[in-house]
Amino acid sequence: MPQWVNEDMGAGSLALDCDAELMLRVRDGDGASFALLLDKYRVSVAHFLYRMVQDQPVAEELAQEVFLRVYKSRESYEPTAKFTTWLYRIATHLALNWLRDEKNDRAQERLDEVAGDAPVREVADRTPSVEHQMVRQVKLDEVRKAVAALPDKQRAAVLMHKYEEMDYSQIARVLSCSESAVKSLLFRAYETLRVRLAHMA
Amino acid sequence: MNCPIKTQENREWLVEYSAGRLDRERAVMVERHVEACPACARFVEEQRIVWNALGQWDAPELSADFNRRLYQRVDRAQPSSWLQRFWRPLVPVAALCLLIVAGVVLRAPIAGLNPAPSRGESVEPEQVERTLDDLQMLREMALTPSQEAGTTQPM
Repeated sequence: MPQWVNEDMGAGSLALDCDAELMLRVRDGDGASFALLLDKYRVSVAHFLYRMVQDQPVAEELAQEVFLRVYKSRESYEPTAKFTTWLYRIATHLALNWLRDEKNDRAQERLDEVAGDAPVREVADRTPSVEHQMVRQVKLDEVRKAVAALPDKQRAAVLMHKYEEMDYSQIARVLSCSESAVKSLLFRAYETLRVRLAHMA
Repeated sequence: MNCPIKTQENREWLVEYSAGRLDRERAVMVERHVEACPACARFVEEQRIVWNALGQWDAPELSADFNRRLYQRVDRAQPSSWLQRFWRPLVPVAALCLLIVAGVVLRAPIAGLNPAPSRGESVEPEQVERTLDDLQMLREMALTPSQEAGTTQPM
């Protein structure tokens, strides 16, 4: 086992965190390893950020900032945790800061604009496929609004749990809180979502 | 198995079970409990609705030029050549030189202006004298119309 593999990575990831190994190569000046990490994670990081801020240009800008920070801090990188924990900690930090600064006002406005421009209100044609599309669009808007209404940290926890398939301990390390705090965050978040989305059966 | 909802123990098992992520051993335990507990059965049903609804939410694709823009930023973030690396330490020295030059430039006109007050002091009596003359002239001009007016009044 390489000396740099830390116990914080957890039993499941002790089978060499290849990403951490790649990052160590980036630290040594290997640009190709950075390209590999970028190709592997850019989509999932950008999608996570999109669902956090619900604004595509902002999400892409933040995703760029995440990878720029990864690159800039390569010289001081130490694999004390899984690479993805570190990566999502940066992403979550940037997203939470953005949300704090914007305080959802602009994001909510844009969300409403998007909902207002959606085909559901523009399309007059009533063929079944269009209706199906309209219903789907309405449902998606409800899901997005329900997630946007969650407190920022609960939202981050749900998105990491659902879409990134992270376990409770990794979410806890990303959010720098205890595992029991994550359980509580997720339970409250899902409780809210169950109430808001119960009719979507 | 105790009821997770009543006891608030292992509530996350219900969440994981609903998502199909619970390990087999626990999943069997939860399944048996859910069959006998209406509250947990309802929880699982509602949680699955949420899970499926979230699953329909796709994120948009990334811009095609995402990597290109990122690498541009990466390039800007680091010194692009050995020349830049060489010049970077010299920036403070250059700034210091600029400060010195600015000091010299600013000091020169001050030195040039210094004699001005002394010249002003030597001129001052003349100016006072001229001003007094002007005032005298104005007084005389002011008196003349009123005297004229005095002479014309009786008419």
